[in-house]
Amino acid sequence: MIRSSLIFIPALLLLLGGCASVTTQPPATVTATPEAIPKEVLPGQVAVEPVPKALVSGNQAVLALLDRARLDTGAGQREAAGASLERALRIEPRNAWLWHELAQLRLDQGQYAQAISVAQKSISFAGRERHLQALNWRVIGNARVAQGSSSEAEQAFKLATELEQ
Amino acid sequence: MPFPFSFRNKFHLNPNFKSYGKSVRLVALLLLLALSGYIFYLDVTIRDAFNGRKFALPARVYGRALEVYPGLKLTSGQFAEELQALGFHERPEPNEAATYKFTLNGLEFTTRDFVFWDGPQATQHLRVEFADGKVKLLQQRGSTDLDLPILRIEPPVIGGIYPGHNEDRALLRLDQVPKPLIDSLIAVEDRKFFTHWGIDTRGIARALLKTISGQRIEGGSTLTQQLVKNFFLTSERTLTRKGTEVLMALLLEMHYSKEEILETYLNEIFLGQDGSRAIHGFGLASYFYFDRPLDRLELHEIAMLVGMVKGPGVYDPRKKPERALQRRNIVLQEMAQLKSITQTQFIAARQKPLGVVHRAPAGTSPYPAFLQLIHRQLQRDYREEDLRSEGLRIFTTLDPRTQRHAEEALSQRLVQIEKAHRIPANTLEGAVVISSTQTGEVQALVGGREARYAGYNRAIDAQRQIGSLAKPIVYLTALENPNRYTLLTPLDDSPLVWSQRGTSDWKPQNYDHQFHGNVQLRTALAHSYNVSTARLGIELGMDRILDKLPKFGIERRPPPFASSLLGAYELSPIEVAQLYQTFADGGFRTPLRAIREIVTAEGKPLQRYPLNVEPVAAPAPVYLLTAALQGVVREGTAQSLTNWLPAEMNVAGKTGTTDDLRDSWFAGYTGDLVAVVWVGRDDNKSSGLTGASGAMTVWGEMMKSIQPEPLLPTVPEDIELVTIDPASGLRYNGECKTALLLPFIKGSAPTEVSTNCASSADAHDNPAVKTEVKPGFKPGTEKKSWFQRLFN
Repeated sequence: MIRSSLIFIPALLLLLGGCASVTTQPPATVTATPEAIPKEVLPGQVAVEPVPKALVSGNQAVLALLDRARLDTGAGQREAAGASLERALRIEPRNAWLWHELAQLRLDQGQYAQAISVAQKSISFAGRERHLQALNWRVIGNARVAQGSSSEAEQAFKLATELEQ
Repeated sequence: MPFPFSFRNKFHLNPNFKSYGKSVRLVALLLLLALSGYIFYLDVTIRDAFNGRKFALPARVYGRALEVYPGLKLTSGQFAEELQALGFHERPEPNEAATYKFTLNGLEFTTRDFVFWDGPQATQHLRVEFADGKVKLLQQRGSTDLDLPILRIEPPVIGGIYPGHNEDRALLRLDQVPKPLIDSLIAVEDRKFFTHWGIDTRGIARALLKTISGQRIEGGSTLTQQLVKNFFLTSERTLTRKGTEVLMALLLEMHYSKEEILETYLNEIFLGQDGSRAIHGFGLASYFYFDRPLDRLELHEIAMLVGMVKGPGVYDPRKKPERALQRRNIVLQEMAQLKSITQTQFIAARQKPLGVVHRAPAGTSPYPAFLQLIHRQLQRDYREEDLRSEGLRIFTTLDPRTQRHAEEALSQRLVQIEKAHRIPANTLEGAVVISSTQTGEVQALVGGREARYAGYNRAIDAQRQIGSLAKPIVYLTALENPNRYTLLTPLDDSPLVWSQRGTSDWKPQNYDHQFHGNVQLRTALAHSYNVSTARLGIELGMDRILDKLPKFGIERRPPPFASSLLGAYELSPIEVAQLYQTFADGGFRTPLRAIREIVTAEGKPLQRYPLNVEPVAAPAPVYLLTAALQGVVREGTAQSLTNWLPAEMNVAGKTGTTDDLRDSWFAGYTGDLVAVVWVGRDDNKSSGLTGASGAMTVWGEMMKSIQPEPLLPTVPEDIELVTIDPASGLRYNGECKTALLLPFIKGSAPTEVSTNCASSADAHDNPAVKTEVKPGFKPGTEKKSWFQRLFN
């Protein structure tokens, strides 16, 4: 009787081993993507109208990416919108209108310091395009309002008005 | 669990310890228990080993995705290269994923499915046409063709971050393995693989027989057994070992499917030795022997790898090519016999040479230096184990074409420079960093002249004195004060002795060991005069200048000595690139980035590294600095750059040469790129090169191939362009042949009008250059400084 177990026990063990579950490591979460801050108009902020597409570029690729960015922005997908705008900027890195679009997006994302910096960058490429300069100063003004510096905001809005006269 | 079970038996058996028969049984049982324990131990061991390999997914790193759109500067040849690098195959009807064919004016092709950071992109049938070096047409092929505004091509894999103890691996999924490889492997090594239980009973019987008859133990190993052997690699050939191997093989087959075992086998099997580095797996072996990914190997190459399984040392194609060839042809023959290839394929493949690359590349990534940069950046944000095992997909900024031009320029120029300057061969080293001006994306990074070999990464780790590359920061500080300094302001380039506490007296010298009296600011920078720059810096205030550096992304503060004004401090090439990026981008600092996005193995977006900018210097003074740096190339120390690039490129740049010619630098920018080149020796001995004779030539060579955009910075609103008489530094009214158009911050241009026009008009075409290049030139109108009076 025991002789027969001599054969079976190792076989049983083999089987037991075989049935034991294969453990996999649980996937580790690395970091979470920060969620976009919903757009809201604060008291004191002014409306900055969207730029007509035809003004932005003559390049269809850039316009297609701009469309996509605006669509994503509308759907609250601001991170994705940023990615599309960056793709457009890789094609036309000195396009002041695209930089303005990115400044607007940064404002919507609640990244006020970046909104100001990027608007300034747009101005640096704007040449003598007064209207575009004014739009950027309004973005800067709105960002200043959100940051709580009302006098600086006031200055920015005033400059914008002057530029358009 | 087996242990409690065995213990119970043991106690139960203890009382019966008397009769002989019983003790035999007891001994037998104890033996059995020992065996059970042993099997249990084996089971745990083998599963650990297997799981360790099986479930760690390395991070995959991708280069930039090529964006194709009408108007893009791209030729049909370049585009085809791009597709070939992605493993696309040429086919008469390119309607399967990853195929293409040439047409009259371009290509027709079909893309693969690919999951980008922002979502999946399905396979597409496309057509692209080119004219005059540009993309002319981009269409989706279908019953009616549809014009596309833009297409994002899947990015090339440029490397991975692998599990294990820094083991270099090119892990493959079973579906990535070419069918002929699996067919031939099974044909040659284990024909019954898909039906056996892990062991080949007849093989084992044969092995036993041989052992009993006193012969060597050999053969009879299934793929499963080979895998087990490979996990615990020793060359020991004993019966016990063979027994262990059999047991482990059986256990493996119980736990895992044939597919899992085969996949692990393909990734695990030992296929060669490279010094201390073992080459495991067909993926890595493919790079090691053919310098290509596995899916781009041809039949005869696959057969060679499969043949090597039997003995990587015996059939080493580099050391024993005849044997390897013989073995390869046996594999091909077996395949033909099993009809997994046709007779025609067999004959064609048999006639081919081995095709092994002469020297093995050092790793799976063709861009080890760039990959290191990526890895460092990731280590700041992620745990090392996540990088190595979670299968993250990392999208980066590397542009393989720009990278290739940078690598080639560096390695070729260094050979030529060594010859021309009679420098012993292979003593010079170098590094290159290229980034895009407005987005700060690192497009290329070369860590040494042998760019394919991982090692000392000079682009990010070499800390070298930057010499004159530091001067622009002094001049920018001056130009930020337009009431005091313009491009024309005379600077004093007469002998200077500077005493400072904590250091010996400092007597800066010019490179030509001459003093140049009074020189215009733009000229002092163009010719990189040390003495006038030092005096300017001291006048402006050392702290004021050195305090600026952190704003430009240089975190470590140079020593507070006057010599720091002339760059007597060390930076790495990538830090220099960061510094010049801000000059190139009109005073906006954009931190250099190499990673765009990270996605999890399941395709979920994890992180983006967005574009950030920060204004750190006013646009107008930066515009003036750029004009002065353009002067360096037009008429200064980098004049010979015109041997590579046309003058219309308007490159702005600066040469850098350090004491005893230890370091040769060139940093410069075009409309779209910022690039830094360093050339020198690792042992910090003299390289015998100046910035212009070394690094600048590399820079020119690579930019010539890259064909960057000309530099045409936007003129800031507070800048006016004024016509100047270069000799007197006064304003010209009206037309004048010698006139020079120079930018000034409004209100700072000279008001006095020159009367030189008539007399100098017929003198030279470009007298400004000729008069000022002369050493010792002293404009007569300026008063001598007390220093000059003292020494003259």
